[in-house]
Amino acid sequence: MENIKFQYISQENNAYPEKLRHIYKPPKALYVRGGFPEESKLCIAIIGARNCSTYGKETAYYFARELAKNGAEIVSGLARGIDGAAHKGALACGKKTYGVLGCGIDVCYPKEHARMYEEMEKEGGIISEYGLGIAPLAGYFPMRNRIISGLSNGILIIEARERSGSLITVEYGLEQGKDIFVLPGRICDELSRGCNRLLKAGAIPVTEPSDILEYYGVAVDKRGVATKKNNNLLEKHEEVVYSNLCLVPKHLNQVVVECNLPAATVMQSLILLEIKGYIKQPTKSYYIKTLE
Amino acid sequence: MYSKTYSAAVHGIEGQIVNVEADVCDGLPLFAMVGYLGAEVKEAKERVKIALKNFGYRLPPKHITINLSPADMRKEGTAFDLSIAIAILAALGVIPDEELNRTLFMGELSLDGKICPVNGILPVVYKAREEGFKKCIVPKANANEGAVVEGIDVYGAETLLEIVDDLNHKKKIPLTVVDTKKLFMQNQKDKDYNFEDVIGQENLKRAVEVSVSGMHHLLIIGPPGVGKTMIAKRIPSIMPELSFEESMDITKVYSISGLLKKEAYLVNKRPFRAPHHTVTATALIGGGIHPRPGEVSLATGGVLFLDELAEYSKNTVELLRQPLEDKRITITRLQGTYEYPANFMLVGAMNPCKCGYYPDRNRCHCSENEVRRYLEKLSGPLIDRMDMCAEAVLIEYDKLDGKQTMESSDVIRKRVKKARKIQLERYKKEAVYFNGALTPDLVKKYCQIKKEGQDMIASFFTDKPLSARAYHKLLKVARTIADLDESEGIQTKHLAESIFYRMNDKKYWD
Repeated sequence: MENIKFQYISQENNAYPEKLRHIYKPPKALYVRGGFPEESKLCIAIIGARNCSTYGKETAYYFARELAKNGAEIVSGLARGIDGAAHKGALACGKKTYGVLGCGIDVCYPKEHARMYEEMEKEGGIISEYGLGIAPLAGYFPMRNRIISGLSNGILIIEARERSGSLITVEYGLEQGKDIFVLPGRICDELSRGCNRLLKAGAIPVTEPSDILEYYGVAVDKRGVATKKNNNLLEKHEEVVYSNLCLVPKHLNQVVVECNLPAATVMQSLILLEIKGYIKQPTKSYYIKTLE
Repeated sequence: MYSKTYSAAVHGIEGQIVNVEADVCDGLPLFAMVGYLGAEVKEAKERVKIALKNFGYRLPPKHITINLSPADMRKEGTAFDLSIAIAILAALGVIPDEELNRTLFMGELSLDGKICPVNGILPVVYKAREEGFKKCIVPKANANEGAVVEGIDVYGAETLLEIVDDLNHKKKIPLTVVDTKKLFMQNQKDKDYNFEDVIGQENLKRAVEVSVSGMHHLLIIGPPGVGKTMIAKRIPSIMPELSFEESMDITKVYSISGLLKKEAYLVNKRPFRAPHHTVTATALIGGGIHPRPGEVSLATGGVLFLDELAEYSKNTVELLRQPLEDKRITITRLQGTYEYPANFMLVGAMNPCKCGYYPDRNRCHCSENEVRRYLEKLSGPLIDRMDMCAEAVLIEYDKLDGKQTMESSDVIRKRVKKARKIQLERYKKEAVYFNGALTPDLVKKYCQIKKEGQDMIASFFTDKPLSARAYHKLLKVARTIADLDESEGIQTKHLAESIFYRMNDKKYWD
């Protein structure tokens, strides 16, 4: 903690993000490790539930990676779940990503993101309006959300429950005149209730990263949430098993039953598919397809 | 006048003969008992005095001394009452002592001269036969239990009077005869618990089959109410039938614990013990001031099932390490060292998180940290001893209509027996019987895998490092799967399956 290098940037400083000057109650000063998002670049906030599903995590990662690849910068809240996955996605393709904290600039919360803190300090930045040693209290988080929305051009909500903290960010975003993008979900999924409600209220539905990019006029080659193509060297059984999987984790047992193949064959196919990188195991013996 | 009778104490699971000497001589009236006696043995004095009075024999005002030898062994329990009473009667000349040196007496006296049941009859009768006794007189309620031993006559007496009459050749007590073989064979099949009843859970059932075949300890993870306990209860039904010798050893443990029921005085089914998670260390391992076998010993030859494994106190489950390794448990107390068998298969069950529904995010609201914390409640050393881990999953309602026919326990048992036979054959020169017990050296010797298998493991575990121990477990389980398949070598498909049963995975534990 002693060696943390950070800057103190007040509103008078030229380095203070221009976007934040125009929001309601801008922070008087910001503490920053690394840097601020570039004003000229497109900046997308990706937010969502902390206790998210595997599907949510995978899509957050995928969207962040694809958006970052195409020149957008990713802002989020460094929390567990969707936030973390979004940062990881951006870091995975070596692009910049920024995290806004709800605690002191020198406090690492949650602890398991310590590695990510370090990486983000180099590749992007960590921003907080709270000084040294401020504990991550629940009351601080809604306030930091206005900075997340303030720094971004558009906000993408991946997964949100009916009463979710992400909806606070959306409210700030609307106040600040940002675009709200939402990933639609199934009507029965708890984690999509909040998302679907936003859609009903007029948010922009998004099913692939290019939807957002095109909205801002960034040219991309059109590509959907295509899971890996199975035309290449898959064997017959592997293909059957592979096509049975989706982004919602399925237990081995279910795959065996649905594929109607001997368990030993399915097991071997799953192992081989995982080795080849077509699928992965978010939890032991539960499988999902890997996004391209 | 002096006389001597024989009784016995239980030490560990073995009987030990105790000499009971009585001397009646002139002098100040006194009833003294010596011989390193526990409190309940000292109290025998009052019971014997009054039982004799009520049976019609008033003790004369003489100097009576009772000695229980070997005098350096602590005597516990109430089983000496009868032999003390008989020794006094013999010393007073009420009964002849011609037969006493070949007869062993066990039993507690009540004040009206009735003989009450005691624990540990079976090991005692066994010992008596070994020591060359011809006859055992035991409480009527325990007679069947003792009569299981062949080559010694066991008589069940109800009152002191009956015994006196018998020894005086007035009226003989009928000999208790038990058809041991028939008893052993009857009801051997468990009708209540059969794998036919378990619908779905193919993956878990297969894991159970593998774990039983190779004696691998198994951990079951799954949401509440999907049949973890149901399946665990059925594990004994696919284990090979008990041999008569095994049955005897188990019955001995149950005999000293006083758990034999009146009708079932021979344990002929593999035990299934499921202690509640509040179990104390002593109850689990055995012990106490007067050491008694714990759950690990009662589960010998069968299954020790620990439901809600994460809820057990860490100190308690940690104690399982020795019995799991040595297949026996040694308890050392001031009075001596006791040894009980503890050769069981450990099956644990737990939820994946506090609420039990992870990874179903529609139901589970636990944060990832909570999930991790919950799983970390399990002690590392215990996880190390579990070879396999399998999941129970939610079953859809429409499958539960019971129209499907499932494989019965007998069919599975046949496969298990075949796999076990292969192992016994393979390890006949080694100190182990089953794959589950293989040491690292033996793993190297017997679990060779081909190049392609090695490649598969290497590429599968590139980004998730595999410890040497985890690797050995993988091979051991793969060996068992190959045995079930009756395959000489371990093939890639066997390895692939064993990967699914691995423990210590980063997804559940890192």
